[in-house]
Amino acid sequence: MWVYILRRILYNIPVYLGILLLVMLALRTKDPVWAFLGKRKSVADHDALEHKLGLDRAFAVQYVLFVGDVVTLSFDQESWGQPGKTANELLGDAIVPSLVITAPALLLSSLISICVGLISSFYRGRTPDRVLVILAVLGMSISFLVYIILGQYFGAFILNDKVGHRIFAVEGYPDSLTPFTWWTYCMLPVAISVIVTMGYDTRFYRAVMVEEGTRDYITTARAKGASKSKIMFVHMLKNAMIPIITRVMITLPFLIGGSILLEMYFGIPGMGRRLILAIRDNDFPVIQAFTAVFAGLYIITNILTDVLYALVDPRVRLS
Amino acid sequence: MRNRISFFALAAAIVALPIGLAGCPNGGGEGGEGGGGGAAKKSIHLPMRTDGPKSLDPVQGSTVYDNRACSMVYDTLLQYKYLVRPFTLEPNLVEAMPTVSADGLTYTFKLKKGVRFHDDGCFPDGKGREVVAGDVFYSWKRLADEDNKPKSWWLVEDTIVGFDEFKAAQNAAETFDYDAPVEGFKTIDDQTFSVTLKKPVVRFLWLMSMFQLSVVPHEAVEKYGNKFGRHPVGTGPFTMEEDAWVAGKSMVFQKNPTYRDDHYPSADEITDPKDRARGLHEPAGTKLPIVDEVRFTMFVEDQPMWLQFESREIGYTQVPAEYFPQAFVKLTKQLKPEYADKGVQFHSEMLLDFIFRGFNMEDELLGGWDPESRTYDPKKRKLRQAISMAISWEEFNTTFYNGLNVVYDGMIPPGLDGHPADGKAGASYRGPDIERAKKLMVEAGYPNGEGLPTIDYYVNRGGNSPEQAELFARQLKKIGVEINVKLVDFSTLIQTVDNKKAGFFSFAWSSDYPDGENNLALFYGPNEAPSANHFNYKNDEYDKLYEKILSMPSSPERTKIYEQMRDMVLEDAPYCGSMGRERFYIINPWLKNFRPSEQFYTWVKYLDVDDSTRP
Repeated sequence: MWVYILRRILYNIPVYLGILLLVMLALRTKDPVWAFLGKRKSVADHDALEHKLGLDRAFAVQYVLFVGDVVTLSFDQESWGQPGKTANELLGDAIVPSLVITAPALLLSSLISICVGLISSFYRGRTPDRVLVILAVLGMSISFLVYIILGQYFGAFILNDKVGHRIFAVEGYPDSLTPFTWWTYCMLPVAISVIVTMGYDTRFYRAVMVEEGTRDYITTARAKGASKSKIMFVHMLKNAMIPIITRVMITLPFLIGGSILLEMYFGIPGMGRRLILAIRDNDFPVIQAFTAVFAGLYIITNILTDVLYALVDPRVRLS
Repeated sequence: MRNRISFFALAAAIVALPIGLAGCPNGGGEGGEGGGGGAAKKSIHLPMRTDGPKSLDPVQGSTVYDNRACSMVYDTLLQYKYLVRPFTLEPNLVEAMPTVSADGLTYTFKLKKGVRFHDDGCFPDGKGREVVAGDVFYSWKRLADEDNKPKSWWLVEDTIVGFDEFKAAQNAAETFDYDAPVEGFKTIDDQTFSVTLKKPVVRFLWLMSMFQLSVVPHEAVEKYGNKFGRHPVGTGPFTMEEDAWVAGKSMVFQKNPTYRDDHYPSADEITDPKDRARGLHEPAGTKLPIVDEVRFTMFVEDQPMWLQFESREIGYTQVPAEYFPQAFVKLTKQLKPEYADKGVQFHSEMLLDFIFRGFNMEDELLGGWDPESRTYDPKKRKLRQAISMAISWEEFNTTFYNGLNVVYDGMIPPGLDGHPADGKAGASYRGPDIERAKKLMVEAGYPNGEGLPTIDYYVNRGGNSPEQAELFARQLKKIGVEINVKLVDFSTLIQTVDNKKAGFFSFAWSSDYPDGENNLALFYGPNEAPSANHFNYKNDEYDKLYEKILSMPSSPERTKIYEQMRDMVLEDAPYCGSMGRERFYIINPWLKNFRPSEQFYTWVKYLDVDDSTRP
């Protein structure tokens, strides 16, 4: 297995280097120094800053240096948007706030959606299935932004007003995370995130389960007298693992990436919000570091997905 | 066995992660928990409608948000009087207003005695030392040091004798020597110093109140290096710990226990009867700052800010245009009873804005500048005047700003000398007057737009710019002028204008200080792009007048010249305009003494809180 993993890593190195090259080229299509300097500046200001930031060096030199930073995970260039902070520090500060929202949201939405998908496939074509499908389609049809705006208004502002004390914070992020402050500040964004993703996930898992439900091994299990719950939760679920893993794994980079809209509206100082603010500020070192990290995460999760396939499905060989 | 690794194992791993993290302190964070602290602590929670400041190093600051945060922890030599309008300066770090030599070139300042920097680890025993004259020069010299990535050198450029030469020499040297002399800086004793200017410019006094020229101690800069902007040490009314700032999210300031003897202004200083009616005179004489803690939350979206105001969490909110009808009666601009009955107050403030559509006067099609004769093609002038006459600023105002903005003639915003009475100037070509515009098109040689090529119009792509451009195109079509809207990001817009490549563009200017001279400088020939004269407007007579007003204090004579200059520009029509914003604030009953201004941000030290009306 280790040989397989090593080989997958080696295959992906040129891909990653190519991504880094593209990222660096894309960020330099327009002179980032002019963009940063803003309204009051001169050519002399531009040249001085460009030199100070090392952006007047040959592109190849900048590329090699940046690859070095990525390899050593030391994005210690000073942020342009937040002077005094390095890209590394901003990354580090933003990861936890993103994770405390996205990880529970992924877990809850996956668990609920799989269960709903199973129920829906069990009642395939009957009223419960139809109702669930209609609800899922309805859920998918409404924009994430609408959920956020309404969720914030009714789920926090109106609810707190009616109850007379704060159940959920309208926005904000706690000074220190405890289960209580997590509930106050993070539960509502998590709930909104779960509701939004459930529509998509339910339809997907239902389709997977329905397909599995028509397989011969299910008929065989039924013929052998296996109980309905055993068929669903042991036979079907186990064999549906490949698409489930694929779906969960492709979501993993977003755990770190956070949800931009949720973080913007709920004032959560996570990765998504940080990246958007960096783009607004033309914060070149931070944008470069964040995109390199995101790209790396995608590649790592791709490799992990391949490995997990082999673990859950004996038909997939690590060769 | 390995096949038994299932989704549930993966799920368990995922759930373990946040649970594990929940035990960890948030990386240097603070945030949404309002108030807190001991029972007797006076704490206020205020909004910043943005992602907040970038740095608390004054020389790196340039935005109003940098200004807001820096004004909490630093002091300038002069400051704006809190309750006096029109804006007036008063001594802040200095004992009295500076004395000025007869030739208007030398300003002598005397620092107040006993003003101390914040207690901080950068000083021996952690006790802030007394501010001396050398600190002022040190702080200003930091603007010249390119290693600090200063953003506001333009404030003092070509102003103080020997300062530009000092900048050039020190940046060229191996190390920047802060002890090297500047000809125009003279230390008389620890408290007294003088500054000699290259030419007498009245605006120098306004600069003395700008946060970029705040006084900082060299000990802190040397100790914290590039972290100084996150670990500020000044003389201001509040202090801030490094971990009390979550970038882009929130910051918390604590009362400076060693703040100098500073008091709430006396009752007879109030110039606006509405302020008196709001009781802003009552705390006269109270020692400043009044509150113990100030928490700022940054709001990049309006809804959470509005809901936090409605929940009475934050003390006030600006009223975003889309929320205006919710809180105000549109016609009367008065607060709706449901808000007034809850004790909510409101305040509106005209901003020193100049919003316009500019022409590049060197553009062949629109400008017609002839460098030989130093004159403009009169037909091109007619074309610009026609375009100006076709535009209805009122329609922009009602369509996009709920009619809240103010439309006016000239480049000088309301409230300043040189602003026309009722916003109307005789020389104006402000529309809409389609008939007159059509006539001017004929005189320009383009009857109904015939023969006129499509004009490229550059505009920042943000906000509702596409919709505004749509309306603009429709208005111009009425006289046969076709525009090709180029929606570009802000940096591209600036670059295109600075490179003189944009013939027609949309821009805005916020006055750096409340003097019409600042806006008249936008048309001064030597300031042509990439400097602030984005129009590349040149008029020798105008330039001479501009040079004359630089050394003139406010007077009817100077106002007359302002008006003369304004009308010269209006006749040449290098821009179409103008419009300025009126900002509306609504204030929760628990926030006391609030009289906001967007021209200065030292007002937080005057605020108080009434906890009895707070949830």
